[in-house]
Amino acid sequence: MTIFISGGAKNGKSTLAQDLTVALSKGGKHYYVATMISSGAEDDDRIRRHIADREGMGFETVECFRNIMDCLKIADKDGVFLVDSVTALIQNSLFPVEKNYEMDLIVANRCAEELVEFARTVRHGVFVSDYIYSDAERYSESTEMYRKCLADIDRRLAKVCDTVIEVSAGQFIIHKGDLRV
Amino acid sequence: MILIIGGAYQGKLDFAKEAFGITDADMYTCKGGQIDFTKRCIYKLEEFAAHHNDPIGYFESHREDWQDSILILQDIFCGVVPMGAENRAWRQRTGRLAQYLSREANQVSRIFCGLEQRLK
Repeated sequence: MTIFISGGAKNGKSTLAQDLTVALSKGGKHYYVATMISSGAEDDDRIRRHIADREGMGFETVECFRNIMDCLKIADKDGVFLVDSVTALIQNSLFPVEKNYEMDLIVANRCAEELVEFARTVRHGVFVSDYIYSDAERYSESTEMYRKCLADIDRRLAKVCDTVIEVSAGQFIIHKGDLRV
Repeated sequence: MILIIGGAYQGKLDFAKEAFGITDADMYTCKGGQIDFTKRCIYKLEEFAAHHNDPIGYFESHREDWQDSILILQDIFCGVVPMGAENRAWRQRTGRLAQYLSREANQVSRIFCGLEQRLK
């Protein structure tokens, strides 16, 4: 079963995703795909909080910052994968740190292709993204491109995943499929 | 009238094309304070609201022209209150226009990640 989750910040997406991943694993292997490249103390702190949140839940951590299919070189594809978040993967790809954050659409496109392939390949996957599309701001060209790339992959994942959930204030709106895991 | 709302890049126009057979020739994309209601589908109503001080008044004065239209509006009013006064006013005009059109509509569809959520 594959599940796509999106919604606003700090609304309960990660908590729901973790719970669903554990439920899907039925005691078997479940992986946390760590996607965030830390850019300083604030990120370190966020990563520490996420690790503490997952403690005792039996996750194995697989680091992947860009090309998600690489996970399958080390992890069992019959396990359950929690990808939190799609946003970080796209950000790492569209603005690569080694290119001094200069926009790279080719790398971002490859990242998106691999995410769709990954969702089609694994037995169970939970994908978390961020809903950043409903505000009255005239963004710069690069920020607009970032929103566009993320929205594009969100739509493609929503299409291939069995279930699509929007989280709002800790409540769930089911747009597709159901939550029976 | 059918109202389609949703965030940026969510697939509002693709939905209109698929569900109602809209083609590029049927579309008017708003860029200023006027709307060509002879087109069946009016796109980017938030841009119209950016350029017109009284969008609801404008719609009321053209009532007969949009009763069978498909109207597409981006819900730009969900985020943080913008710092600039102009963007704040734009956001409010667009929100009020959305409420007005939603009351008038026979159908309201919200598009989320390419999927339709029927609100009315």
